[in-house]
Amino acid sequence: MRNVLRGGRDAAFWILCTIALLLIIAPSLAIGAGLLQQAWPALNLHLFTATTANHGLQNAILGSLVLCLGVMIVAAPVGILGGIYLAEFAPRRSGSWIRLGYETLAGIPSIVVGFVAYLVLDQELHWGFSLLAGILALSAIVLPYVVKTTEVALIQVPTTLRDAGAALGLSRLTTLRRALLPPAIPAIASGLVVALAISLGETAPLLYTVGFTDQNPTFNLFQHPLGYLTYVVYLNATLPTRLEHEVAGAAGVVLIFLLLFLIGVGRLVGRWAARYSASMPT
Amino acid sequence: MLLGALAIFVAACGSTPTHHKAKASPTPTPVSTGNPSSAVTLNEAGSSLLYPYLQVLAPAFNSAYSNITLAAQPGGSGLGINDAIGKLVQMGGSDAYLSDALATANPALLNIPIAISAQAVNYNVPGGPDFIKLSGGVIAQMYEGKITNWNDPKIAALNPGVSLPSLAVVPVRRLDSSGDTFIFTSYLTATNSAWSNGPNEGTTVTWPAVSNELTANGNPGMIQVCHNTPGCIAYIGVSVENTAIETGLQEAMIGNKSGKFLTPNQSDVTAAVAAAAGSTPSDLRQSLIFASGANSYPIVNYEYLMVQEQQPDPNTAQAIRTFLSWAISPTGGATSGNLSAVNFVALPTSVIPKVTAAIAKITG
Amino acid sequence: MIGAGHGAGGTAGPEVPRAIRRRLADQDLTTRDRVVRGIFLVAALVPAAMLLFLAAEMVDQAIPALIYSGPRFFTGQIFTFGNLYATTESHHNGITAPLHAQYGALPFIFGTVASSLMALVIAVPVSVGAMLALTERVPWRLQSGLSIFVEILAGIPSVAYGFWGILFFGPFLAHDIYPSLAHVLGFIPFFRSPVGAGEGLLTTALVLAVMIVPIIAATTRELMRTVPVLAKEGALALGMTQYETAKVVTLPYVRRGIMAAAVLGWARALGETMAVLMISGDLVNRFPANIYGPFSTIAATIVNLLDSALTDATGTGIHALAALGCVLLLITVATNLLGRFIIRRATGGRVLPIGRGI
Repeated sequence: MRNVLRGGRDAAFWILCTIALLLIIAPSLAIGAGLLQQAWPALNLHLFTATTANHGLQNAILGSLVLCLGVMIVAAPVGILGGIYLAEFAPRRSGSWIRLGYETLAGIPSIVVGFVAYLVLDQELHWGFSLLAGILALSAIVLPYVVKTTEVALIQVPTTLRDAGAALGLSRLTTLRRALLPPAIPAIASGLVVALAISLGETAPLLYTVGFTDQNPTFNLFQHPLGYLTYVVYLNATLPTRLEHEVAGAAGVVLIFLLLFLIGVGRLVGRWAARYSASMPT
Repeated sequence: MLLGALAIFVAACGSTPTHHKAKASPTPTPVSTGNPSSAVTLNEAGSSLLYPYLQVLAPAFNSAYSNITLAAQPGGSGLGINDAIGKLVQMGGSDAYLSDALATANPALLNIPIAISAQAVNYNVPGGPDFIKLSGGVIAQMYEGKITNWNDPKIAALNPGVSLPSLAVVPVRRLDSSGDTFIFTSYLTATNSAWSNGPNEGTTVTWPAVSNELTANGNPGMIQVCHNTPGCIAYIGVSVENTAIETGLQEAMIGNKSGKFLTPNQSDVTAAVAAAAGSTPSDLRQSLIFASGANSYPIVNYEYLMVQEQQPDPNTAQAIRTFLSWAISPTGGATSGNLSAVNFVALPTSVIPKVTAAIAKITG
Repeated sequence: MIGAGHGAGGTAGPEVPRAIRRRLADQDLTTRDRVVRGIFLVAALVPAAMLLFLAAEMVDQAIPALIYSGPRFFTGQIFTFGNLYATTESHHNGITAPLHAQYGALPFIFGTVASSLMALVIAVPVSVGAMLALTERVPWRLQSGLSIFVEILAGIPSVAYGFWGILFFGPFLAHDIYPSLAHVLGFIPFFRSPVGAGEGLLTTALVLAVMIVPIIAATTRELMRTVPVLAKEGALALGMTQYETAKVVTLPYVRRGIMAAAVLGWARALGETMAVLMISGDLVNRFPANIYGPFSTIAATIVNLLDSALTDATGTGIHALAALGCVLLLITVATNLLGRFIIRRATGGRVLPIGRGI
């Protein structure tokens, strides 16, 4: 009798858990399907040849890519160098303060970053709608992830390499360059992939700092607004006509494709990293 | 007004001030326009009421002046005003002229009207009458929460013999800083003393707490929300009125100063302009709301582009002057085809010299 | 002190004796090394500098509005910029604001906390249950394939969630779910009709739940994989069902880690802007009438009212929004620090919280 009850409870529990699993799978499929369904009529070459003034996405796609490029140029070096410092040079106590700093930065809502960037950079410093302001705002959001993954990547490199470098009388810089960084690069790269994914998907920090325009991006850092994909989704989803919803869906589909591509790259890099470090001497 | 024209004439001549004979009509100010020497992109942002008109003008303008591209964006009149003040865009679109406080704080910011527009009041009452008659006082009470049902006796009193269904009133208002809000609340202020003493007028006002009121961003957003909500009443600019009607919204006839109920059509709007535009000052900040006249439509306004007098370089200044002069010219932008595509009306000829004088102040 | 006892970040990898690490750190550095270290140090300080700058700027901007409103800022229910076209102004405690301006943040604080808490309450059981199913019942080969759904959910931008919410999920809920819900739970006033068109508190909470599931689920999955297999096998050998094993062995082991992940997920929901902006109905200035009704959060309000605030010539409107932002900042930072603190205590820093889930 008791076994039946226990068996029943067991079955019920696992049914609930399976439902929970389905509840996680369903939305990801539903969102993808929803975007595709709305976007379907608009998914053709016109998206890439026309700007948002003519229900295309050319300026938005280029703008998003320019922002990603800018974030790579600004945040990647700073984040990687910072991560190297924390892993290789930081004394214990100040290291944990610095870590606290970037972990707290990771928790700042992106709207606050956008708000400050707008007030200080666009208005007070008179940068106007500024690509650089947008890049700096995105970098503030993305930096903690780059720093953290670099730090973790370097810590996972076996210390025997550092010992070997010391034994050979190499400077720390040379040891870093020749022995420590190469094995860490795959993991660092996956951190950069996360950074790119975040840059593509963010809207709030860019809303006021870069404005929006139908024109294709110039590389002007100041006084020029910029179009980007997430804004198209945001604006057009709230408009009343079918055509506008199609453009919003199309922008969403392009975004998801870019993100899936990045996830794929991230997974490949992760697998390569695991194989590489497995072949390392310990 | 005459002194203003005199002063500008003197400045344009470059001579020392002397006593000129008073002129019967002010001499048009010479404005330097033309295709600038290098390509210029004019960024505009702001009023969602003006935006469709700029979308119509942009390609025509670019074919007339190949070196200038007009890049317009919606976002609300507040955005237009702010971006113009902060010099984030060259022109800020707004249905509302600057407040006294902002005008004092930004003396070098010009309010330049380029067309006359109007605003309709739309509603969504399935089973209800088309072209229901509503006075400003009644509309104000709907937005104050004092009239909560479409079959309220006060509405019935304005619409004798019409059967009104029992349906909760859902007032829809703009959430963004909006010129449409400004002209709508100006109308309510003029017609309802409780509103005048309370929220009064503005691009942003303190809306009375009505339990089921909804918000929307931009004119298209108002259409979207009202379409999804039976019982809604919303204020929507005429430039998107065609879309509003297509999605199934009904248009109300609203009461003017003479007690007549009108919809925003060409002749009623023109009548309002004729009555009110005569008193437009030289800084062009003038309300055309609730104009007198039997056939004057009550919610009519200038569509402004806010422009800084001082531009960063001569090319940009030239481009802006060119665009503005072209836009107000009947042979340039203000053709009947362009205007009627968005249900706008041309600026009255009495105002054009003042607008030209303002355009002349833009230098780089 | 957070992280004090863990050296320069002890995480997965061979455990290096502290003495050797110290020796390495003290080894002679060439001048070039010192220069390079200086450069790296500057880079490492950039995030902290950005953080301090952001916090300082927000507080500096917020102070005038806080002086103007006093403690009523946190208890007041009315938030309005006043009559911007009036010719007179209000004065309070030495600060000038437009006529009849009032800055009360209570409805936004309520909206922020309520929507994120509701999201949490929904997301945690779903994540834990799903990950239990994934790690215990799903064949090993399929696990990686199914976990990709978690990664996809993590990577979807919040505007896409908002798009889905406006056009699909909201209407679906309003037509198919809410009427039945209102019928069943109608005896509770807050759950009564009208159910609206789908944009409101409950819809937002549900979408936020879907957004924070990846954070909780990814961490939970990693934690569950670290549960000692021996303990689980022992329980099964004793004759316990898999459910009882989970209840007695797995869950207590991962409980603290789940708590920490939940707190981090909560912090993410608190700061979420775009999806909330699109599906909350954006009712600024009032508490939602019922659980289906429009409301607003702090983050969404800042975006919605920024233009209006900028047209305030006195500047106090912007200060009021900055004050709102400071409140949000305080709540999210405190929540984040709490979460990371719990994680270090619970797992010895071994399992990293996966922030954005990828």
